[in-house]
Amino acid sequence: MAFTTEQLTIMDSIIARYPKSRSAIMPLLHYVQSIDGYVTSTGIEIIAEKLELATAEVTAVSTFYTQYKPEPVGEYHVGVCTNTLCAVMGGDAIFAAVKEHLGIENDGVTADGKVSLEHIECNAACDYAPVVMVNWEFYDNQTVESVKSLVDGARNGNPPAPTRGPKTLRTWKENSAVLAGLSDGLAGEGVSAGEPSKLGLKISRGN
Amino acid sequence: MTPEALTEVEMITVVIDGFEVTVPKGTLIIRAAEKLGIQIPRFCDHPLLAPAGACRQCLVDVEINGRAFPKPQASCTIPVENNMIVKTQLTSPVAEKAQKGIMEFLLINHPLDCPVCDKGGECPLQNQAMSTGRGESRYEGVKRTFEKPVAISTQVLLDRERCVLCARCTRFSDQIAGDPFITLNERGALQQVGIYEKDPFESYYSGNTVQICPVGALTGASYRFRSRPFDLVSTPSACEHCASGCAIRTDVRRGKTLRRLAGEDASVNEEWNCDKGRWAFKYLSSKERIATPLLRGADGELHEASWPEALAAAATALKGKRVGVLVGGRATVEDAYAYSKFARVTLGTNDIDFRARSHSDEEASFLATAALNAKTTYFDIDKADKVVLLGFEPEDESPIVFLRIFKQVKKRALSVVTVAAFASRGSQKLKATLIPVVAGNEAAAISALEGLTEKSVVLVGERLNESAGALSAVVELLAKSNAKLGWIPRRSGERGALQSGAIANLLPGGRPVSDPAARVDVAAAWGVESLPTTAGKSTAEILAAASAKELDAVVVAGVDPLDISAEALTQLLNTYVLSFEIAHSAVTAIADVVLPVAAITEKSGSFLDWEGRPRAFTKAIEESLTRSDLRILSMLAYEMGTPINLPSVAATAREIAALGNWDGAKASFTPAKSNKSLKLAAGEAVLSSWRLLLDLGTLQAGEPNLAGTARPATANISQSRADSLGVAEGEAITVSTARGSITLPAHITAMADGSVWLARNSDGSQTIATLGIVGGEVVSVVKA
Repeated sequence: MAFTTEQLTIMDSIIARYPKSRSAIMPLLHYVQSIDGYVTSTGIEIIAEKLELATAEVTAVSTFYTQYKPEPVGEYHVGVCTNTLCAVMGGDAIFAAVKEHLGIENDGVTADGKVSLEHIECNAACDYAPVVMVNWEFYDNQTVESVKSLVDGARNGNPPAPTRGPKTLRTWKENSAVLAGLSDGLAGEGVSAGEPSKLGLKISRGN
Repeated sequence: MTPEALTEVEMITVVIDGFEVTVPKGTLIIRAAEKLGIQIPRFCDHPLLAPAGACRQCLVDVEINGRAFPKPQASCTIPVENNMIVKTQLTSPVAEKAQKGIMEFLLINHPLDCPVCDKGGECPLQNQAMSTGRGESRYEGVKRTFEKPVAISTQVLLDRERCVLCARCTRFSDQIAGDPFITLNERGALQQVGIYEKDPFESYYSGNTVQICPVGALTGASYRFRSRPFDLVSTPSACEHCASGCAIRTDVRRGKTLRRLAGEDASVNEEWNCDKGRWAFKYLSSKERIATPLLRGADGELHEASWPEALAAAATALKGKRVGVLVGGRATVEDAYAYSKFARVTLGTNDIDFRARSHSDEEASFLATAALNAKTTYFDIDKADKVVLLGFEPEDESPIVFLRIFKQVKKRALSVVTVAAFASRGSQKLKATLIPVVAGNEAAAISALEGLTEKSVVLVGERLNESAGALSAVVELLAKSNAKLGWIPRRSGERGALQSGAIANLLPGGRPVSDPAARVDVAAAWGVESLPTTAGKSTAEILAAASAKELDAVVVAGVDPLDISAEALTQLLNTYVLSFEIAHSAVTAIADVVLPVAAITEKSGSFLDWEGRPRAFTKAIEESLTRSDLRILSMLAYEMGTPINLPSVAATAREIAALGNWDGAKASFTPAKSNKSLKLAAGEAVLSSWRLLLDLGTLQAGEPNLAGTARPATANISQSRADSLGVAEGEAITVSTARGSITLPAHITAMADGSVWLARNSDGSQTIATLGIVGGEVVSVVKA
């Protein structure tokens, strides 16, 4: 799918933020995902053209980072952390249960295109283990049941609010635009650093 | 590096395995160790590529000022420092164990298919697994496999499971060739070399990645499964394709050339060559090769004949007649010398020309003066403050010259200026400043060039002769600026043929025919009373004279008439044609006598590259029975009763050396005027063209894998012409003359509105055959 003039202008504005244009490759890949939902070949070609890179160089970056998707994902992309701490705290059980609940495998998408599932690596929230992320928003201290109701809500179009971050969960494409550096005005909403994260600081201040 | 440059560098002394070694600052540990004869195993390290530290095979223990690194370090990424003590696998059990561990990791997923792998027998991984690995694997799991092979272009195949992710291929493509079309994709256990799915690895230099791959991951489609390295007989050779002068290696098995590789010559091609030089050699073993002399019989057909029979027939036809000699651009120095001597001594004429292409009298004068005396080398490009390209596309017409310029552009942003129809892909990679010209107006553009110094290098392509007055403007520019000149013909033999006097106005060694002292000099050396004094004819004049029956016969050696003009072949129909050829061609089809000669791999000899540097080579196919042109000319001259006494290549080379170069009065350049700009009506443009590296050239025949990576032909026009024609990028336009028309997708690029550019000899774009011109003339351009 070709991009509109307006979208191309936004790409140029992203590129203009950097002293060297090639630095814009990552936000541009997110921006392509905000439009197409994944990294399309049209997206790779337009980025290569705009940044004066070879298409292979753009491919190298887009395939290196797992956050860039070569295939469409759901409107709500659910990532279950299965690294050591989350796994023993229930992450493995959650991942197995959600797969069965949705009837999809790792990297699968539900037939209605609403929810996709991926086991993800550590998201630096071990103090809230087991952690699940939806469109890169945190859902802390999850259980099998809470995640089932989370994905059910997502499929029905009314997912629960993230534990931290904005008060409402935005779609994959909307959050991809944020990652591209286009503000949705929600950066100030909700909790950023939760109590468990500040516990150590509190203890050290008390002593 | 020059001796004076070396003395400026700070020297560092380092202790490796107990031995002191002093090396220039910046030298990597692995390289300093090599100087001591200590070989540290490695895969990713390559002296001409930036360090990567990717394979980890070269781990050594390092200590500086008494402080040891806590872990073994990659010796290919760390420069030496004073007070550094290095212990390699030879003296450090820790380094030895680390290397063994890395080797074990590298082999975990590597298949044990050495017996069917092209690289087996010459494989750094195989060899170093022997020196550094375990006898038997401890790995009992299932090895990772991939679909294989993946054709990343029509000529390069990738077997991913063999790859050790050293990134030599990707670094080469990016750093040396400027074609980052292959990259390391994915990550972790799935990391792999790959392309963007729609853009294959179509680089002119892709074959080098096959050669430097330290495992069998990248293989050449044409050589795959053809041979085992230990069955090949390798001969150092010189490439016959262009005037870059690459050292190459020819690998032969049982009399057949199976492979060519880049040879090493730090002064010329470093360790690289282009894909044409590497893969375009199937013509050598083509079914069209001629094995015996051929005589045209009374029935009008060619019949096989014995050598005495054919030589007698040719001698009778030439003796005492008016004969012209057309020497192709790929004759060796020795063969060109033989043609020169044969023309002057046996035929008694100066009607000889090696320019089987467009040419002019202005050029003949330029060649006999400026080009002949040019001493510019690759090293001058390394030091240049500016490089100017005139009628010359280095990537297409002399690819190693391109690499050398690109290296300096990359290293120190060398300024490049090109006077051309448009900025080719090569020019874009060189970040060249384009001075767009309409063909024919080059002289004015050249005269307007400014800011050149004695450190500037002006590279002139053979095509510049197509624009009247342009070479005269070059001579003026050089006189004004003291810049250095490099004349870079497209073919390997031209500089040597010029030096050998295979042109009307010169005798061997650069002696002007017009100078009586020079003639006496050569006549004495050749043991003849005198040499012909009548001004000789150029290629075009020889053809015109032949057609007008002002010549009785023409000797044609390795010439494709379509390289000269659309009429050249017809012009030969009225005359007696003696053809020296390796294979059946348009000329042999009309020749009266065909004498088969040795192809490049079947003879020894030498070329002079564009620098004038001798590129000697020896016979790669020992058992070949074919003979170099000079031997046959010598037999023919003997048969005609005026011998030239050139019994062998070695004897000819000795004679050339003994004759030496002319040290008498030099010829002076005769300038020519440029033509007036052409008037263009609506829908008209002036054609420009040049040959792309990979095209329909005769020597590229029979290699479809190589041809598959040729750049497709386009018709290039400016934006404003596109607008007035109402065509968008990729839409077809038709370029025509009264003779014919070429329809191609339009490519819109920055160029003069009065210009249209076509590839000269590509698939669907043969300007000489179809339009009857190479450029500088008015064509009509319409929407198809």
